[in-house]
Amino acid sequence: MLVLTGCTSSGAGSADGDVTLDLVWWGDTERAAQTNAAIEIFEEKNPGITVVTEYQDSAPYRDKLATRFAGGNPPDVMAMPNRSLMEYSERGALADLNEFPDQLDTSVIPESVLTSGSIDGHLYGLATGLTTIGVALNKTVTDDAGITIPNDLTWTWEEFADFSIEISEKTDGKIYGTGYNPSVETYVMIYTRQQGEDFYTEDNKLGVSETTMRNWFQYVNDLRDAGGYPRAGFFEQQGQSPAQSYLALGTIASQFIPVNNFQAYNEASGGNLVLLRLPGETGSERAGYSIDPSQLWSVAAKSEHPEEAALLVDFLTNDKEGAAELLTQRGLPINPDVAESITAQLSADDQTFVGFITDLQESELPSNYVYPAGAATVADILIQVSTELEFGRLTPAEAAKKFVTEATAAIGE
Amino acid sequence: MTVLAKDSRQTIPPTMSTEALIPGRRSKKPRGKGPNQKSAYVFLLPWFIGMLFTIIPFFASLYLSFTDYNLLEAPNWIGLDNFKEMMTDSRLASSLEVTFVYTFVSVPISLMAALAVALVLNQGIRGLPIYRSVFYLPSLLGGSVAIVMLWRYIFGYEGIVNKALAVVGIQGPSWVSDPDFALNTLIVLNVWTFGAPMVIFLAGLRQVPTMYYEAASIDGASAIRKFFSITLPLMSPIIFFNLIMQLIGSFQTFTQGYVMSNGTGGPADSTLFYNLYLYQKGFTEFEMGYASAMAWLLLLIIGVFTAINFVAAKFWVFYDN
Repeated sequence: MLVLTGCTSSGAGSADGDVTLDLVWWGDTERAAQTNAAIEIFEEKNPGITVVTEYQDSAPYRDKLATRFAGGNPPDVMAMPNRSLMEYSERGALADLNEFPDQLDTSVIPESVLTSGSIDGHLYGLATGLTTIGVALNKTVTDDAGITIPNDLTWTWEEFADFSIEISEKTDGKIYGTGYNPSVETYVMIYTRQQGEDFYTEDNKLGVSETTMRNWFQYVNDLRDAGGYPRAGFFEQQGQSPAQSYLALGTIASQFIPVNNFQAYNEASGGNLVLLRLPGETGSERAGYSIDPSQLWSVAAKSEHPEEAALLVDFLTNDKEGAAELLTQRGLPINPDVAESITAQLSADDQTFVGFITDLQESELPSNYVYPAGAATVADILIQVSTELEFGRLTPAEAAKKFVTEATAAIGE
Repeated sequence: MTVLAKDSRQTIPPTMSTEALIPGRRSKKPRGKGPNQKSAYVFLLPWFIGMLFTIIPFFASLYLSFTDYNLLEAPNWIGLDNFKEMMTDSRLASSLEVTFVYTFVSVPISLMAALAVALVLNQGIRGLPIYRSVFYLPSLLGGSVAIVMLWRYIFGYEGIVNKALAVVGIQGPSWVSDPDFALNTLIVLNVWTFGAPMVIFLAGLRQVPTMYYEAASIDGASAIRKFFSITLPLMSPIIFFNLIMQLIGSFQTFTQGYVMSNGTGGPADSTLFYNLYLYQKGFTEFEMGYASAMAWLLLLIIGVFTAINFVAAKFWVFYDN
């Protein structure tokens, strides 16, 4: 079950480490190498602290985290998925980071970032970095087909559909115009906001309406029928690494991605990608974009060394040398000074995504709220309903109804 | 079934009598506390030791099934609420359906394939040990993560199976991501691992005294008649054993469903095995109390089917000692 597991003990071998901290996260070997390099700097600066690290693939990580808490042996510092923050904090499993002002300095962190991990004024998760969603488009395909790319700041969903269909037609159906995953809730959230609703509301309820979900599902179905989107059953694996993505394989021309992964996708696709905004930002009820925490750092309430754990979180957030190792692995650093200090070291692709975010930050963006408890179940429901829609077992209207009913029940429990 | 001529009666092994050949009747053999009894206990010893480790979780799970344990807080007693909720859980019902279909399709096919191949190998083929190992190997690897992932590639839309079908001009669907076919792919995987029961069948076939077949030939029995009148009845204890073991194992399938669908039970819950749903309930939805209740329901279901089999066994299984 543990597909990717690694356990390393970093540290310069100091035998008199007074305090040992556990740090866990999910990710691949690349992320682990960078994180461990940053940890070594932390240990040099804090000679009394040794950090033991461990990481897994995302699904086994989630299971193992739950098991560790259940077994009374939670890690001191952990990467927390947005979906799970409420689940853990609601049950008192996480420490309030606001209680450590001497160790953790949040003075320069923007307020909107802090609220995305706060519940009733308690800071249970501090964003590891900022990201948002973008369209990764293979420009070589459109250039070869002689198609001009519409202005991504103003294009509508209809224009996006026409554009995708045109790509499929001009490549004789060999390359589908787009292959975004309709069952990722962060994508739906942007669309939902454009309709004037909030997917998850401020008071932790499901705010998306059946009509909006039905339109979202109908859009995919129509695009599939028109040939701009792959046929049912095309995607045999979802959520795999950028190197294995259908975009990298060249069977689809565009995909929605978390923008902090842009470099990985671009490398895998031979450097042919451009990063565009999602359609529908203008001409809708309101702009749908928000800057989101890609993940959160949390500290266990039962940690034996909460102050040292807070120190570690402070290092991961505010230390420029540490950031020089971590770069943008988990998103754009939330401390603006730190973000500025690493810009020069970033690759061209990373600078693209940083520019993408900083451009967005200039406009007034809606807030994003903490996901309610049950969000992980809602994510599973969305996947299941989307698959049934894909194979024609449900109509868009039925799929929307089923989703809203089951998601509301999952959150209400 | 009186196919024995007078002469061959003398060569019957002393442990068998004609009375024993009548189905349903077991002859009484005095049980002694001989060395066989002791060696049985020695062989069972590892299981007893393992029991020591599992006995506490066993009863803990029973207790938890009456609580609303969510892994993070202490459990609260809620009585039968979990079991009541299970009655109306549609996903539970569909996971039971998936598990039942999987079990009742793949186990019979698997056993029939195992018996068929064992019969063929029993004819005395050269290189028998090699064939035996080759057939047995899949059953060792079948439940492993690597093989299931391999299966996902082989049966994918661009996989070897579809490429082979394309040669004959058939465009196959994605056997992995289409909800109508995903379970069938796993059934094929389960049947492919028929090697374990096959090896046991082969050993059992070796035990059937050849003189019965000889006597039957003298009486003019065809190969089919021999199979149904000699082979099957004498093999029935072994068929019964394999049937029970395969049933119990199949009901508990988890790894294949988990790896094939990346833990989702997809596409569209078509590979949502009972144990996979249990796992999701426990770890994704933090409802470990409910998951524990599900575990005990599974125990009950397996117990019921095993009991049914034992009762039915009186009618078609007979032991000759």
